[in-house]
Amino acid sequence: MAFIKASNVSFNYKEGENVLNNLSLELNKDKFTSIIGPNGSGKTTLGKLLIGLLKPVKGKILINDRDILTMTLGEIGQLIGYLFQNPEKQLFSTSVEEEITFIMKLKGMDKKIIETEKEKILDKFSLKHLRKEFPFNLSQGEKQRLALASIFVNKPRFLILDEPTTGLDIKRKEILSSHIDILRKEKIGMAVISHDKSFITKHSDRIIEINRGEIVGDRKKQIRSKN
Amino acid sequence: MEIEKNKLDPRTKLTLVLCISSLSVIIQDINILIGILVISIIISNILGANIYSVIKKIKGLVKIFIAIIIIQSLFINYGETIIQINGYKILTDVGLIKGLEFIFRMAIIIVSATIITTSSSREIVQGLIQLKIKYEIAFMVSVGIRFLPILTQEIKDSIKAIQLRGIEINKLSIKKRIEIYSYIFMPVVAGSIIKAQNLSTAMETRAFRAYNKRSSFNELKLNNIDYLIIIGSFLFAILILALYLK
Repeated sequence: MAFIKASNVSFNYKEGENVLNNLSLELNKDKFTSIIGPNGSGKTTLGKLLIGLLKPVKGKILINDRDILTMTLGEIGQLIGYLFQNPEKQLFSTSVEEEITFIMKLKGMDKKIIETEKEKILDKFSLKHLRKEFPFNLSQGEKQRLALASIFVNKPRFLILDEPTTGLDIKRKEILSSHIDILRKEKIGMAVISHDKSFITKHSDRIIEINRGEIVGDRKKQIRSKN
Repeated sequence: MEIEKNKLDPRTKLTLVLCISSLSVIIQDINILIGILVISIIISNILGANIYSVIKKIKGLVKIFIAIIIIQSLFINYGETIIQINGYKILTDVGLIKGLEFIFRMAIIIVSATIITTSSSREIVQGLIQLKIKYEIAFMVSVGIRFLPILTQEIKDSIKAIQLRGIEINKLSIKKRIEIYSYIFMPVVAGSIIKAQNLSTAMETRAFRAYNKRSSFNELKLNNIDYLIIIGSFLFAILILALYLK
């Protein structure tokens, strides 16, 4: 069963100028799906629609069989994690470890559990040595990792990553790839919006190509490498 | 070269706003304030300002305005009592009128400010420069004008981003909600500082303040209609003040 289902979705920022036209797709939890396409093709808009940041002008989006319009952003955030193109938009605290823990504190979780979870997550995303750092002083790659780690606190069942490799050198991309592999082993479904061919080729089970707001290609497992 | 010949000069609009908002601050009579509000709405409409979008944007502030009226009323205990609890006057007719005067004053300032929005930030800066205001100050005003919508958008984005962390703000207690807002302002403030740093670097690299004198490609020129409106605005303001102080 599809975890995210978009049926005949259309969207426009200005009336009469559709960014997405009657687009339908299904995203499964066991797949790594890449969404590719030229600039302005509607990739990021699609990502924002799938996470509920934008509302379709036509059509329906279901998350785990629930209409997205009946869900709050908080409810969606429990199920799907969204990594913004600019990770600075989702960093809220004055230290790396606070970034990991503040949501758990707000949810009223037990202090001991928070400490254990924090250490696990810092370790998983190789952030232990940066725990006291101010998030805005981190490198782009470290900010990406921190944003991913903070999303991971909610244990989402699906991740949507918008251009996660932008501004990363080869080494940092490899580090990000290794963390994505770890998350995939935990059965977290993923959709990645990207231009990065090598990154897409390395991870994808399925590649959806968008142009002018329409799906123009949907290839499965043709490019997936052996890893 | 003139900027858009058929439009009013931004200096004329600044004069209009100066007169209207000054009157709203000085005058303490609710009837005159209503009259000024009506006039400013008419002027704003004639000049093509989008008042409705501004009203939509400030809708969220209505609760704050109401709270200010109530607080103001609490401190004014003279006049006829309207609401009284345990012998303590909560609301009097004078308090209510003062509160309403405050609302009308705010409305006049907001509506008159929409008149300026009918000129671009570049035109306003040029107007300020030609009013002999230092370029650095005029530039700061232009940066401020351009920065406001960006700041608003960033606050909205931050609220959405924090909700996507699985937080349902509406279900939180007031204490936790205040805590959440302290987190929301973190990326906004940090982002603003980073943007300001980048902007100052970009300005330095483009030789900002390298010379004492600057020339402008776009020169504003006052037309007859501008002179007429400027003189008319001052006369109108003086007349209203004279009538009010009589």
